[in-house]
Amino acid sequence: MTAIPTPAAVQPDRGFRNRLIASGGEDLKKCFQCATCSVVCELSTARQPFPRKEMLWAQWGLKDRLLADVDIWLCHHCNDCTSRCPRGARPGDVMAAVRREAILHYSAPQWLGNCVSQPHCLPFLLLLPCVLLGLVAWGSRPLEKLFAASTSSNRIIISYWSQLPQWLLIAFFATLVLLDAVVIILGVSRFWRDLNARGQAMGFADNREHEKQSIAASIRTTLRNILLHEDFDRCTFNHPRMNSHRFVLFGFVGLLVVDLWVLTVRFNPLLKDAFVYPFNFWSPWKILANLAGGAMLLGCSLMVRDRTVHSTPAGTLYEGTLFKGTLFKGTLFKGTWFDWMFLGLALATVLTGFGCEILHYARVDPLRYMVYVVHLATVFALIVLLPYSKFAHMIYRATAMVYAAHTGRQRQGGPSEFE
Amino acid sequence: MSEADSRGRVMVVGGGITGITAAIEASEAGCDVILVERSAYLGGRVAQMHQYFPKLCPPVCGLEINLRRIRTSPRIRCLTLSEVVEVQASDGWHRVTVEQRPRFVNERCTACGACVAACPESRSDSFNYGMGTTRAIYLPTDLAWPFRHTIDPAACPGEQCGKCLPACAYGAIDLKMTAQRREFEVQSVIWATGWEPFDASVVDGLGLHSNMISNVQMERLAAPTGPTKGRILRPSDGKEIESVAFVQCAGSRDENHLKHCSSVCCMASLKQARYVRAQYPNADIYVYYIDLRSPGRQELFLAESQQDERLHLVKGKVAKVTEDGTSGDLIVAAEDVMAERSIRQKVSLVVLATGMVPALRNHSASPSSMLSRDPHGFLSNAQLLPGHFAAGCARQPMDVASCVRDATSAALKALQSCVSSHRG
Repeated sequence: MTAIPTPAAVQPDRGFRNRLIASGGEDLKKCFQCATCSVVCELSTARQPFPRKEMLWAQWGLKDRLLADVDIWLCHHCNDCTSRCPRGARPGDVMAAVRREAILHYSAPQWLGNCVSQPHCLPFLLLLPCVLLGLVAWGSRPLEKLFAASTSSNRIIISYWSQLPQWLLIAFFATLVLLDAVVIILGVSRFWRDLNARGQAMGFADNREHEKQSIAASIRTTLRNILLHEDFDRCTFNHPRMNSHRFVLFGFVGLLVVDLWVLTVRFNPLLKDAFVYPFNFWSPWKILANLAGGAMLLGCSLMVRDRTVHSTPAGTLYEGTLFKGTLFKGTLFKGTWFDWMFLGLALATVLTGFGCEILHYARVDPLRYMVYVVHLATVFALIVLLPYSKFAHMIYRATAMVYAAHTGRQRQGGPSEFE
Repeated sequence: MSEADSRGRVMVVGGGITGITAAIEASEAGCDVILVERSAYLGGRVAQMHQYFPKLCPPVCGLEINLRRIRTSPRIRCLTLSEVVEVQASDGWHRVTVEQRPRFVNERCTACGACVAACPESRSDSFNYGMGTTRAIYLPTDLAWPFRHTIDPAACPGEQCGKCLPACAYGAIDLKMTAQRREFEVQSVIWATGWEPFDASVVDGLGLHSNMISNVQMERLAAPTGPTKGRILRPSDGKEIESVAFVQCAGSRDENHLKHCSSVCCMASLKQARYVRAQYPNADIYVYYIDLRSPGRQELFLAESQQDERLHLVKGKVAKVTEDGTSGDLIVAAEDVMAERSIRQKVSLVVLATGMVPALRNHSASPSSMLSRDPHGFLSNAQLLPGHFAAGCARQPMDVASCVRDATSAALKALQSCVSSHRG
């Protein structure tokens, strides 16, 4: 019943395999291709299921297949596979390591990605905006007035660092965002082209027509999936991750909306009359921002917990605990630098954000300005790193999900699989 | 026992095929042998088998011959329902304490079965791996040696019932029997404690289903002396089967369960596929495997099996078994690795190819705790006590033919240590 595929010549890439091993996939050689992972994964597909085939490709260092593989992005790293792997090969972590390589491959220029994804680059990334902003502020104002607050006594909230001109901040960050946009558009178009080429080779063109979707419909499906966390919801072993991700995503979107609104202050008639920046504490925008920040703080904290202590519906698992017959070995979610850096920056951003808000109410001078500078620095780092860090997962994963829906890539467990 | 011309004294722990063979070999070489068996009969796991691979012959004939050699040997003393509780070593001699549990039936028993008809209590049939029941007083197997009934104290209420006493015309039942301890001085001990089937219900994703059995249960289903008189029928409803799935490595080669490969399950499943084929010419038989292991000449058996067009050998481990509504059918989920697609196969019956757990693995009590083991719990000959030898599946998983060879080599080592301790 099984047709053995014709052997094809492959070019193993040991360097690529060693990079995967170095960035979280150190157990990949333990895999003996039993395919337990493909079966227990609730997100895996009926045809060419994952992650078993990716484990084989990773062992051989088949870079071209892995980087353009749509399935590495359908994986949500819930580690159902890792928890059931009979060899401790941790397929979930190997998939994460492959995603890192894909991000660094598609986000041009590669040297920049390779550079900023290194630990030793982070201090420079954080210092750079401080220096830049400091120089600009110093040049435009006398130094002694830099940290002087301009208080208006009839308002509870005083103007934020009024010494730092807002147009400067906007111009600075807008340039960065534009650069990001260029990198992302180039990356996504290259990724889409490669997805199509790999899809042809994998035979996605032969998928049933009625299961395929137009691009527009695929985008709608994907947005719905992301907003409702439908895929995350299918994870079993590490289901609580769904909520932490939900908090972070919605918090992030909330803060983004507030930020975009604030950016319009110069030409927004609504802001000019009714809502003067900075907002009153009880302004709907301020409430939204505080709620969103709180959600992000909560989500990030849960994520930190997930990487240090593993909790399941059955309770907290510590090393050596038996869970459903499986001996639990350390934390299930093994964070790497790539993973921690993004989480750490997000957490630092939200903590410094709340930090300067509180210091602001307490009018602690000049500490509030210093914390604000740190806040700006972390935001700067996040924006610079957007295409080159784990942050980029939102772009490439969304693209891959659209492609999967578009080509009719169906989940396993459907009725079509019965003989 | 004839002490005068004895070449030595050997204790064999375990009365399975390995222990029986070692006892016979040592006794026929002139040693006095004490054979200690935990259960009520000799023959162990082999007595529960339907057929051996690759010849597909029943174990009964070989067992009968060996039991006859034991029966007629003046040098073998056989203790059933017995366990070694203590070993003390000194000057090449070992003082071994054996505790014998009460059988409640003495040597006057003729195995006529009148007591069974009178007994009101029942117990799970351990010989048939829980498929069916027996009375609290029962004959362990049709081939039992000693050929005597025995009472399961866990199921028998004892003297307050006593219905079997008047039923026995020979006065063979003694409900007052108690456990006894005996001490033996021996020069060598052969540990042939064998294995137990792994309980795969603890494996996440497999669970417990009425139509999911283990490979050892399959042997009983196919055996003419089994609960279905040799007909392979579904446990849930006694229906004939249309298809069967063999799940290889059910808990084996898995660091979460049994890390080792038991080395016989692949061949056992191919053999059991022949059982199914013999009764169901049109049944679809699926074998889901990680690797099919057919060492040495077993390759021929595999090649022969592959001729069967309705035997589907699928590379890919079953990681999930679910029930299909109320039909009693089961759905096994796997990836067909060679075809790169996910499978949900509906079958009438699932057979889990479970591996061997060394019987002493969880036996922490003295004296087995003084025996060194490998990381899987098997006894390791390299560091066993002087004069002590492990043989058969107590040492590592192996098939019956290898057990017999291993038993012979252990008997030789035991002889050597008898000779050297005589000199000493």
